[in-house]
Amino acid sequence: MKKRYGKLLSLLVGFSILLAACTNSTTSSDGKNSKNTQTTQKETIGNFPMAVKNDGKIVDGVLTYGLVYDTPFEGTLNYAFYQGQPDVEILHFFDESLFHVNGDYEITNDGAATYELSDDKKTITIKIKDNVNWHDGEPVKAEDLEYAYLVIGHKDYTGVRYGDALIQDIVGMDEYHAGKAANISGIKVIDNKTLSITYKHANPSILTGIWAYPLPKHYLKDIPIKQMAQSDKIRKNPIGFGPFKVKKIVPGESVELVRNDDYYGGKPNLKGVIVKVVNPKVVLQALKKGEIDVAQFPTDQYVSAKGTKNIQFVGNIELAYNYIGFKLGHWDAEKQENVMDNPKFQNKKLRQAMAYAIDNQAVADKLYHGLRFPATTLIPPSFPGYHDENAKGYSYNPEKAKKLLDEAGYKDKDGDGLREDPDGKKFTINFLSMSGGDIAEPLAKFYIQCWKEVGLNVQLVDGRLAEFNSFYDMVEKDDPKVDIFAAAWGTGTDVDPYGLYGRNVMFNYSRWVNEKNDELLEKGHSEQAFDKQYRKGIYNQWQELMNEEVPVIPTLYRSQIFAVNNRVKNFTADIDPFNWKWKEVGVTAEKPETE
Amino acid sequence: MLKFILRRIMMMIPQLLILSILVFALAKAMPGDALTGQLAQSPKMDANTLMEMREKLGLNDPVHIQYVRWVKNLLHGDLGLSYIHQQPVTDLLSGRLANTLLLSACVLLLTYLIAIPLGLVSGRWQDSWADKLIVGYSYVSFATPLFIFALVMLFVFGFKLGWFPTGGSVDIQVEKGTLDYYINKFYHLLLPALSGALIGTVGIIQYLRSEIIDTKVKDFVKTARAKGIPESKIYSHHILRNSFLPIAAFLGYEITGLIGGSIFLESIYSYPGLGQLFLQSIMQRDYSVVTALVMISGLATLIGTLLSDIILSAVDPRIRIE
Repeated sequence: MKKRYGKLLSLLVGFSILLAACTNSTTSSDGKNSKNTQTTQKETIGNFPMAVKNDGKIVDGVLTYGLVYDTPFEGTLNYAFYQGQPDVEILHFFDESLFHVNGDYEITNDGAATYELSDDKKTITIKIKDNVNWHDGEPVKAEDLEYAYLVIGHKDYTGVRYGDALIQDIVGMDEYHAGKAANISGIKVIDNKTLSITYKHANPSILTGIWAYPLPKHYLKDIPIKQMAQSDKIRKNPIGFGPFKVKKIVPGESVELVRNDDYYGGKPNLKGVIVKVVNPKVVLQALKKGEIDVAQFPTDQYVSAKGTKNIQFVGNIELAYNYIGFKLGHWDAEKQENVMDNPKFQNKKLRQAMAYAIDNQAVADKLYHGLRFPATTLIPPSFPGYHDENAKGYSYNPEKAKKLLDEAGYKDKDGDGLREDPDGKKFTINFLSMSGGDIAEPLAKFYIQCWKEVGLNVQLVDGRLAEFNSFYDMVEKDDPKVDIFAAAWGTGTDVDPYGLYGRNVMFNYSRWVNEKNDELLEKGHSEQAFDKQYRKGIYNQWQELMNEEVPVIPTLYRSQIFAVNNRVKNFTADIDPFNWKWKEVGVTAEKPETE
Repeated sequence: MLKFILRRIMMMIPQLLILSILVFALAKAMPGDALTGQLAQSPKMDANTLMEMREKLGLNDPVHIQYVRWVKNLLHGDLGLSYIHQQPVTDLLSGRLANTLLLSACVLLLTYLIAIPLGLVSGRWQDSWADKLIVGYSYVSFATPLFIFALVMLFVFGFKLGWFPTGGSVDIQVEKGTLDYYINKFYHLLLPALSGALIGTVGIIQYLRSEIIDTKVKDFVKTARAKGIPESKIYSHHILRNSFLPIAAFLGYEITGLIGGSIFLESIYSYPGLGQLFLQSIMQRDYSVVTALVMISGLATLIGTLLSDIILSAVDPRIRIE
């Protein structure tokens, strides 16, 4: 929902450079436009450090954290209920998961609880450590975690977490959700600090996706579940067991947090944190003036921000990717199944050709200054254990695209420079692309131009970009106007791609189904896949299959960067999802550095 | 007079009814709903749960049933629940309304404080260099878009000179209820209000100027001058009174604008108010909030026009409403 104004000029400039680039690269022999391509300088996320550099001694100070949004935060400050991104950024300071995770986002025994899996891998036994207490001094108990499941599974629950397949896979959850049981039979409180959760299936995603955010039962139990999200105990005086306690909230604007001396991980370095909303248009100024110490920085402003003396930038790769999907069928809501019945793009070679035709390197370098980079597979490098580094993906190769199109029978028969379909009819591809931000328009035009270079006639659906809601409305309902669409997925920390590409999931927007795919996805979250080597092998095969079949073209991976004042110590770019690291963050001066 | 007011109030009922149908129909005609694409960023959701949630929110019922349910609740003073904010709309609005009223009232006040003296000077000393300057300013301000001007003001006075706080409605560390709190709040208010006021003056300046120019050549002014009344008294007693008439009528409408809020000011100064909430709710298809806001501003508009009629008849004896 970020709106930007007054940047029309830079948009136009960027656009023209891009157009030049695309036509350039095919006719580059004379290189007369080469000066154009040098006007923008390229970054790469590899050059960004993960942690800030600061050798100073930590002093007792308060850090100001900027929430970079142009809207107020919603203020539903609870993991089970929140919807907006700003809310979860606030939550990270005062509440956390019972588990820490490793580099592959698998739970470890270093956090507030330890776990053990049963031999059949269907039951996980969780033991909460003794020194873990809520901010009001009450210990975090096993029944608090059980209570979280009882709330999420309840029919009156107003949030969205029940959609999680792992939560529904708990034995007895269906019965509880339907109101047929008072408790969830698969969740057993063994003693004060121990509970076990039994799932219907053994699934390695338990290790990356288990819901481990307890709710303070003693604090919330008197509120009807229906009214929980609107209650003051969540909106005004929320408690958690994280490194900081909420002291005060100005609704929609700012939150004041103070150190939780009783934090199980030890005393946090910061005396307190102030979180406040900062408009993306002024975030750089606020950083320069030292009004905020840390903020996730809008990557499109990085070029004008780098070199600022009082701040450092750290960054890493987001758990997300952009893609262009082909509509290959429709969603049968009755049968809960994807049906691949749209003949237009069934020819694999056509899809491959379209993938070869687009120059994602140019998009990444010119439009995103290198802060996005070409995607090679559907598992982003932010999953170091599963991303297939050897996968080549589709690099820009218009000649190959043309050859594939020729082979597939898409040839220009009437000499207008555009290809007809194998039956000799006009072949028009309708492209749905989302509006928002300065780059949306040039990006869509660039892709269209690239496809035109290989002789494909691509048009925007309804001749324009679609607004967010219309976009998803059309994609979700398989609007026949849409042939291809450009979208993005946030993957979350669970590597399992089943929820996006399975035969029976609605979010498989391309509606592509394939038996090999079913098999690999099934194996990828089977009991055997608890063996990491095995799972990696399966997902390598899956990435290869998806690259061969290209139901969707992975286009770009994304970087996220943080701007951090020089006085801040121990801040790292992976603070989400490793948010217990806030305990380590400190400041080495009373006042922020200013430029 | 009383009869007139009563009649006007009676007329509001069908007006509001029509408005409610229009608003509801338009809101529902927007593609998608609050759950559309919401999960694009977190794919942990299955089709069944989504369906169940739509059912729970009543989004699957036919539109007319949803409408009747909404009107029924409305009559009970229940504006529904905001899905996005997970909070009753009345709670949500009351929090934001206070901010918006404060900001708009401050903008309005400053606008009048700036515009009226300028309009007077410019009308009285017509074609002087001061007049030219003022008219020039009013045209420039008219042509300046608020979202750029507010940013420039923020950069110059907030960041470069550091005279004002740069965002929010109050510092979180001051204790609520103390004198410091109110001073702090006012301090935060000043820059956004000034940004809004400085470029919102053109209407009043121009109205006032042309009224004064018109009035000062009227016969009764000439008569007064012939009688030897000092010029300053002519202005303060004879011309100004008459010239303020259209401004007074204007005021009723301005009051309507109070609750509209300003998307740009609120967004740039991170000031949580209704204008932004309205935009956000439309974008995220938070129907209950959208419809509530339109109904409230509709009601305010009706009341505002009524007010301006009343004000007009009070200040101008020539206008009497039967």
